[in-house]
Amino acid sequence: MPKVKNHTFLFYLIFFVIFLLSMTSAHGANAADTKVGFKKCMECHPKIQQEMTQKGRHEPFKKYQCSSCHNPHTSNHEYLARDEIGTLCKSCHKGKKRSFDKKYSHLPFEQGECLKCHSPHSSKNPKLLTARGKQLCFGCHDDKEMFSKKNEHDPARKGNCLTCHSHHTSDYEELIEKSPERICVTCHTVTKKSHLNYPVQGADCMSCHNPHGSNRSKLIKENTHKPFAGKKCTKCHNPAGSADPLGMKSKGISVCTTCHPSVKEDFKKVNTHVGEGVFCTDCHSPHASDEAHLKKAKEKKICTACHQDTKERLKDKNYKYKHPSVMEGKCTDCHRPHGSDFELLYSTDEISACVDCHKRHASFTHPVGKSTIDPRSKEEITCSTCHNLMGSPHDFALRFDQKKELCIQCHKGY
Amino acid sequence: MNGYNGLKVVIVYRKINFIILFLSFFLIIPATALGAGKVRVKHLTSITGNNEIGRFGLLGGVFFDENKKRLYFTDTTNSRILAFDDDFKYISEFTGGGALSSPTSIVKDSKGKFFVAEPAKGKILAIDIGKKSVKPIDFSAVSGANPVYAGNMAVDSEDHLYIVDKANQRILLFDSDLKFEREIPVEGSRRLMDVKVDKTGRIYALNTTDGSICVYNSKGKLLLRFGTRGAGEGEFDFPTSLAIDRKGLIYVTDQHKNKVFVFNNNGRFLFTFSQLGWKEGRLHRPSFIYINNSGRIFIVDRANTRISVFE
Repeated sequence: MPKVKNHTFLFYLIFFVIFLLSMTSAHGANAADTKVGFKKCMECHPKIQQEMTQKGRHEPFKKYQCSSCHNPHTSNHEYLARDEIGTLCKSCHKGKKRSFDKKYSHLPFEQGECLKCHSPHSSKNPKLLTARGKQLCFGCHDDKEMFSKKNEHDPARKGNCLTCHSHHTSDYEELIEKSPERICVTCHTVTKKSHLNYPVQGADCMSCHNPHGSNRSKLIKENTHKPFAGKKCTKCHNPAGSADPLGMKSKGISVCTTCHPSVKEDFKKVNTHVGEGVFCTDCHSPHASDEAHLKKAKEKKICTACHQDTKERLKDKNYKYKHPSVMEGKCTDCHRPHGSDFELLYSTDEISACVDCHKRHASFTHPVGKSTIDPRSKEEITCSTCHNLMGSPHDFALRFDQKKELCIQCHKGY
Repeated sequence: MNGYNGLKVVIVYRKINFIILFLSFFLIIPATALGAGKVRVKHLTSITGNNEIGRFGLLGGVFFDENKKRLYFTDTTNSRILAFDDDFKYISEFTGGGALSSPTSIVKDSKGKFFVAEPAKGKILAIDIGKKSVKPIDFSAVSGANPVYAGNMAVDSEDHLYIVDKANQRILLFDSDLKFEREIPVEGSRRLMDVKVDKTGRIYALNTTDGSICVYNSKGKLLLRFGTRGAGEGEFDFPTSLAIDRKGLIYVTDQHKNKVFVFNNNGRFLFTFSQLGWKEGRLHRPSFIYINNSGRIFIVDRANTRISVFE
């Protein structure tokens, strides 16, 4: 019996050795093949070979696996990539826990433009980043005015953007790491004393302070509401020592219209942005702002906070032709934010609103107006009959391709 | 198997095939359609401006008088109410001798009194054409954080008047003598836009910003809340108005998707109809919907400046 046992052991040992050898040689052959493939690639792409000397290399690149990401023969994507860049990257980089699955995303991340920040082969920077710290962020966020104020927030001055912001996704607007109510108190202590004895703990500090910098002390935003600047809080609020110090002195928008009575007329229109309570603060900051008219944020951000579908359309790459004001987020170039008696809150009738800027078109254009009838709807032709200013796949934001579909919508005989 | 038996097999086989085909066409396919709860909606006609009545401006609301079988709608820009008969023939216009400035929403009670919202005046006008009387509804008994901003309206079978108060996110309820009865706060939603009441007395409220529809019983108790904005099936871009048909189906116009969404009375999405377009039957920024007792669907097709009628 022991003899039999010895034979069995020997049999398994030989089998294991053969298996091991075959695996090693196969791996060696594969590695050798990969290297051969890599060399072949480098014959035409010698510059990329130089990147092999970098310390930080992308794992497939380090292993000479060009075909992990590229198809050597054909592809529908740039750089002969195997897929859209974003999809390709996310096929391996799935994100830890739910880090890629949050409410707000960095636009390049959302649009799959990973190469805006990361190098695909190698980098001297960590995480294969194309630059370090503020050089990387300021490559796109180059608002020189914002970052050249008399007083700067320390992390912003040092270019430590990630002290407050997340790079890919966040549960909070502006990709801040924590909620607006919690992020500042991570480093700062908020006291009643510094806020004229009003209990502002738990408030959003950024409603008054600019987290990057300001020419005002305490990083207060540049434009201030007169009572706020004069420390006359009781113009609008109850006294600091009262039972409800942050409560308002009067009901609804009367707290605003007492001093701004003409605004009431704006809201007596057919189409308005009337809302509940002190709805002025839906768009305006009652204390301080870096925007004109004490707007809470840039127009585009304020408007798209409610007009979510417009926000999605603005980001949609298929609608690449838009009116310049749409691209720049200047919604109020065409729309009256309080109210209007015209459709879509236009300042006047559509044609007059367009001609106000496009003066040449007042006399030189396809006939429009009351005497020109659209044969499809039997109603007058206006500018938006042919143009979709919020975004179109066609030149001049036309609704249809002008080379084939546009004119024959009405001119059937051609 | 001999030749005769073979022929019999072929005949039997053909009979079975025929039965299957028969069942498919006449039983199974219609049954499937019924199972899906699909309601066929077809375009009936469009009411547009013409030389007789002039071009329409911005169109406001629509109301169908079941007693007189008349259709009324407001031409806000031209400060008038237009009346059409059941065959969509123009009858007359009413300007109130200058009493109307920017009429938007319109309803009529069983006694023949019209109610028209006038945002520019911050009022609802009660118009009794027989008595040549135009009086604003008294809001003095209504308290709230903001002055009433009257939006769309609805009337129930007992002539109660329901008014959307946009500035206070609530529905104001007035009795048939136009005395303020109570309010129904539409809580947890944003931008209350429309109200309708069905034949059982249920009250339906549409909120544009969060895309929600709230259904209340006649006492104002919330029974159901559904609907959201988004890109998914049955999700809105920018809902503007709602209406209930005689079967209890809920129709919602979407100004940006240029469609009408249809839900069952439990809020389950069923289907949509129409799409962006300029031809009749298509919609461009629909802003209001009304369904009469005979199932006709009247849609204010605002950017096409017409009333599109479906059934």
